[in-house]
Amino acid sequence: MSEPQKTKISVRHLDFFYGSNKALIDINLEIPENQVTAFIGPSGCGKSTLLRVFNRMYSLYPGQRATGEVLLDGEDILAPGMDVNMLRAKIGMVFQKPTPFPMSIYDNIAFGIKLYEKLRKVEMDERVEQALRHAALWEEVKDKLKTSGLGLSGGQQQRLCIARAVAVKPEVILLDEPTSALDPIATLKIEELVSELRNQFTILIVTHNMQQAARVSDYTAFMYMGEMVEFDSTHQLFTNPGKKQTEDYITGRYG
Amino acid sequence: MDKEPHISQRFDEELHEVHALVLAMGGVVEEQITNAIKALQESDAELAREVIGRDHEVNGYEVRIEEECINILATRQPAASDLRLVMTLIKTIADLERMGDKASKIADMALAMGHGARNDNPAFLRDVGVMADYALNMLRRAMDALARADAEEAIAVAKGDEVLNQEYRSALRRLITYMMEDPRTITPAIDALFIAKAIERIGDHARNICEYVIYLAKGKSVRHLPLDEVEQSIQGK
Amino acid sequence: MNTAKNARYLRRRFWNVFNLGMAMATTLFGLFWLVWILWTTLSYGATALNMELFTGDTPAPGSIGGLRNAFVGSLLMIGVAVMIGTPVGILAGTYLAEFAQGSRLAAVIRFFNDILLSAPSIVIGLFIYAVVVVPMGSFSGLAGALSLAILLLPVVLRTTDEMLGMVPGTMREAALALGAPHWKMIVQVSYRAARSGILTGVLLAVARISGETAPLLFTALSNQFFSTNLDKPIANVPVVIFQFAMSPYPEWQHLAWAGALIAAMAVLVLSLVSRFLIKDRSPR
Repeated sequence: MSEPQKTKISVRHLDFFYGSNKALIDINLEIPENQVTAFIGPSGCGKSTLLRVFNRMYSLYPGQRATGEVLLDGEDILAPGMDVNMLRAKIGMVFQKPTPFPMSIYDNIAFGIKLYEKLRKVEMDERVEQALRHAALWEEVKDKLKTSGLGLSGGQQQRLCIARAVAVKPEVILLDEPTSALDPIATLKIEELVSELRNQFTILIVTHNMQQAARVSDYTAFMYMGEMVEFDSTHQLFTNPGKKQTEDYITGRYG
Repeated sequence: MDKEPHISQRFDEELHEVHALVLAMGGVVEEQITNAIKALQESDAELAREVIGRDHEVNGYEVRIEEECINILATRQPAASDLRLVMTLIKTIADLERMGDKASKIADMALAMGHGARNDNPAFLRDVGVMADYALNMLRRAMDALARADAEEAIAVAKGDEVLNQEYRSALRRLITYMMEDPRTITPAIDALFIAKAIERIGDHARNICEYVIYLAKGKSVRHLPLDEVEQSIQGK
Repeated sequence: MNTAKNARYLRRRFWNVFNLGMAMATTLFGLFWLVWILWTTLSYGATALNMELFTGDTPAPGSIGGLRNAFVGSLLMIGVAVMIGTPVGILAGTYLAEFAQGSRLAAVIRFFNDILLSAPSIVIGLFIYAVVVVPMGSFSGLAGALSLAILLLPVVLRTTDEMLGMVPGTMREAALALGAPHWKMIVQVSYRAARSGILTGVLLAVARISGETAPLLFTALSNQFFSTNLDKPIANVPVVIFQFAMSPYPEWQHLAWAGALIAAMAVLVLSLVSRFLIKDRSPR
């Protein structure tokens, strides 16, 4: 793990504002390609905010703005001319609560694919199957592809959402507390899935569960009050963090 | 360790409890070694039997501490310094238990030698006394370093192990000389040699504990590294 | 100590029983009138029910007839009202929920919509009378349909706004996060999620306008004969019931009861269908 990694996203002097409220303060970060990077920190530390910068989710809401640079393969995604829809084709996202669309399992997956590609039925079937297999859901749903995605269990719904994100063939996948609404077994399945996807995608995961970060990630970033306190390999950060703030947080002490 | 308390008070209590148990175990082992050497030097069979009889107490400590540590690992999933502390304690008790075994072995020898009345030449045991004092000092200081998570002290103690090793080598040379001079001394000299070897091993275990303490304090594994290098890297930090 | 506790417990139990009893009594009081109304409608209306009701037109006093022209007129006007009011209401509701979230304009629109929602229907009738009937020089089915459309519009707008508001924001974000354009997200995700709710709103709005009499008196008036011409006055159920019920002729009164029963049944069916739709939606 010590050999230098190719950087996928580099964040430079990123500030983020909710109106006049500064939520991220001078974030600098190099996110390695095809690795899992976890973001941990107490509620309100800005980790989800940072994640939502990477696919420009924040720009849906007036009053939220980011300054600085976020380079995806060297291209500044904060630049005014950036095509947000194309950016989101490259950077998929899965949310805290499972969000299957009110349509069939098949259509849930096809929805994203249809946005970018015009496929014949056979090809589409293949892509849907491939995506569901990717998300380790195929065996469970192959006989009910035409039934509503809302009829699945929470864990299956979340894997459906991951399949939906994967189906578009993104380069980066953002996971915003993907297991916080799931039971331990469903959580383990998602974690297993993350480890299987790690070689093909650059995965960024925000989690409240420190053990989860320790289990699934290669690198971990600890954030506190809108600042990047420490970014290091997960092993280093969890056995011997460099900063006292990190130490206090991961050992459960008063910060 | 001047750490802020955990949010979970119970976790703090558990860590303190297991830490205190390890220090107590260290105290018992120290006493065992002291008594074993005393029994040997004074041919005190009763004391020797007492040492042998108390070995199960040391083993009991090991079992209990191990259980507590496993419990902490399972329920608290400690991280960073807490994880290092628990790992350090788990490894430390293994070394302490070995030291306890050595003490009871020395006591065995004391009994055997006492019965055979073979230690009529106290010169054999002179080296043993010096070495034992040194090894006991190492153990005491190692446990102090553990109590305070003091890496500097731990390095100093670990470095002292070389002195003990040299003592052992010179004792070995002297005993060989005795044996060559007078074949009748071979049996008691070999006994003394075994005892010296046991004490030397006690020093090695103390050194191990010091290495765990350095890991505990600095988060670096220093096993199998030259100590000078370790010292430099720690000071550099 | 135990007795004190016991006393408090008994007191609580008394109040519990008392309040429960009061609640049940008032419920029964309300239900009593409702059942009475329904029973009256049913008993008077049922005797007047026959096939002639649907095949004959409104008769002259003393002769036999039905309400065919009134039913057809009502259906026509309601149909036109739905065709005008629903798209406008849904699009306006979509604007409020999807595009103008939190804006000042949205707050103003919602405020005026609420006023429109609670405006007495007779005011709407007068308005259409002033701006349509007077300039056109005659009462007409179109004017009636317009006044019904204005009554329907705020209901549809309100339900659309609220049903879309209930679609979780994360579902929208999930669609947008896949790179879907805004309009595609609304049509394929928001509308689908809110579909049954919006449909329910439309059905309830139809139920509401189908019983309105006041605005039609000023706009569609009524017509004794069968007509599908929306330019001219047209017969409709509420106004016919109103006229016939007030008349001294027993045949007319019977027809009024029958019409009232059919209208009530229609509303009941619409309510049941919308109930069913809401239920269908709930397990998600």
